[in-house]
Amino acid sequence: MNYFQKMKGSGQSPPKVGVVEILWSWIGSFLGIAAVAITHYKMLDETGLMMIIGSFGASAVLIYGAVRSPLAQPRNLLGGHILSAIIGVTAFQWLGGTPWLAAAVAVSTSIAVMHLTKTLHPPGGATALIAVIGGQNVHNLGYLYVLMPAALGAIVMLIVALIVNNIPKSRKYPEYWY
Amino acid sequence: MKEKHTGDFIPLDISEHDVIEAMKHIDGYIDITPGDFKEVYQAAYDMAIRRLFNSLTAERIMTKSVLSLKQEMTLVEAAHLLAEKRISGGPVVNLDGVVVGVVSEKDFLQEMGFGATPSFMQIATHCLNSKSCMIGRLHNRTVGDIMTKPPVTAGLEMAIGAISALFAKAKINRLPIVDDDGRPLGIVTRTDLAHSFNALGEGPLS
Repeated sequence: MNYFQKMKGSGQSPPKVGVVEILWSWIGSFLGIAAVAITHYKMLDETGLMMIIGSFGASAVLIYGAVRSPLAQPRNLLGGHILSAIIGVTAFQWLGGTPWLAAAVAVSTSIAVMHLTKTLHPPGGATALIAVIGGQNVHNLGYLYVLMPAALGAIVMLIVALIVNNIPKSRKYPEYWY
Repeated sequence: MKEKHTGDFIPLDISEHDVIEAMKHIDGYIDITPGDFKEVYQAAYDMAIRRLFNSLTAERIMTKSVLSLKQEMTLVEAAHLLAEKRISGGPVVNLDGVVVGVVSEKDFLQEMGFGATPSFMQIATHCLNSKSCMIGRLHNRTVGDIMTKPPVTAGLEMAIGAISALFAKAKINRLPIVDDDGRPLGIVTRTDLAHSFNALGEGPLS
């Protein structure tokens, strides 16, 4: 297959999931995001602390919408967010004077580290990027960003996933822990 | 005997459509493309076949009570012995007990002048038309005279995959299994091989 033939794509897409599956994805993600958002807006709003970041929306797709995926397992969810947060904060602190470089280094390095540690979790890339481009509120947190929101938020969403994803007969979560 | 077209054998294949249909039977979003799944499946299937073919060795499938014929034995004696034991052939040993050839019905028939693969009806027709029945040619000859030599033999460790390949390549029906000194330990016949493949299909041997 030559270079341009590859671009056409020769495979087929997987089938659509059933209505029940879609409903449970909705319920899980509603509750998961609600849990971190309520903490954020009702309890931490005035403190300067954060509990929610954009990458949690992406995590919700995986841990409530693609429960079986290796990318959605606890090792990946927690490992991906925590490692990427460390890399993101470090990239900002070392290279923050050149934002474009800090942003690129943060994302690319977190992908490499997640691969190396078998914790690939796509939202981790966003967690690293937000550490750089998230603005003053994020920058003020320093390495606290790793523990909160990244680690703590991921843990709360994981707990909701464990509770909700094991209710329907057709689902079980996780496939494996680590 | 009809010639076998081993090249026509088509290994079990699944299509992307099969994979998609199977995925529909599983609840939840499966995070793999049908094409990738097919690739994984085929590689895993090949590994499983290879593992099965390498897991069963001659030692486990051979017939152990092998009847060896002595090189000096006359054909009449040998025919008596084979008839009595109801077997169609076996390894031939020299005075030291080392396998030096293999003798089978085929060798007898060839010696009688029927060619390598006559049918029973050819022989019957011939014998009905001539009183001598050509069997006379077998007098005063020994097993050593007509045996197939050098013998194709194998050790205990040869796996069934390799054995079946050897059967096809050397065009043989029985394979004496010998120790390091060439003394017979057992024999693997096509029947043994067929049983072993059947057993693989049924699951692990006890």
